[in-house]
Amino acid sequence: MIVPIREVMALSAVLFAVGVFGFLARRNFILMLVSVEVMLNAVNLSLAGFSQHLDDPRGQVLALFVIAVAAAEAGVGLGLVIALNRNKPGASVADLTQLKG
Amino acid sequence: MAAASVASAILAVTRKNPVHSMLWVLALFLHVAGIFLLLGAEFLAAVQVIVYAGAILVFYLFVLMLLDVPDNDSQPRFGAHWPLAALGGIGFAVLIWLAHSGAPTPLETDVALGPASIVGNGPPLGSLRAVGIALFGPFALPFEMASLVLLAAIVGAVVLARRSAKS
Repeated sequence: MIVPIREVMALSAVLFAVGVFGFLARRNFILMLVSVEVMLNAVNLSLAGFSQHLDDPRGQVLALFVIAVAAAEAGVGLGLVIALNRNKPGASVADLTQLKG
Repeated sequence: MAAASVASAILAVTRKNPVHSMLWVLALFLHVAGIFLLLGAEFLAAVQVIVYAGAILVFYLFVLMLLDVPDNDSQPRFGAHWPLAALGGIGFAVLIWLAHSGAPTPLETDVALGPASIVGNGPPLGSLRAVGIALFGPFALPFEMASLVLLAAIVGAVVLARRSAKS
């Protein structure tokens, strides 16, 4: 079954835009990280679409690497969230203006 | 399915309750896995369901409930600059669309240079066999580097979460 690449790219662009909006507009730090995950999913979608379009498994391998890096990013990001929350409970993103805890 | 995934993504970034938002993201991930299946990427769909929906999202939910985020009904869920952010998102989509429509369709360009020729016309694209041959053949070094990245992330997360507990 062949899905046209144009539709896949359009969906990927829309999902990425939603992710950008969420990352820029949300104030909850965890939900900002989730928006990053939405953006990574959009990229994975376009990678899989091009992989099918070009009949080449390298795109899917690259998408697998993106998933691995997303897992690493989730681990580090949530570790940061826990550290921040222990230092300043209930702080929003706008209050976190210094890196030194 | 594409419409459903876009709708769940928009719902995910606009819900007020973080747990509801997380559940919408789960719906989004499952829909994207379905689209992977439609694209013929079966292994990628399985990994999407297992790793993303199974592991990463549960991890997020776990931290979300562990931290006991207070109901921020008093403050708006978006910053004051959210129209700017929406403009940025829409501008990005328009940019991608322009770049995509201006580019020549890749059908005319020559395709299938590297590992596809290794795979040849044996296993179908996206099967576990094709992905595995590509992953452990030409991509063996990036594969090991991905494992190193994951190890570094584990160590970093442990260090970040422990040091503040001591102080």
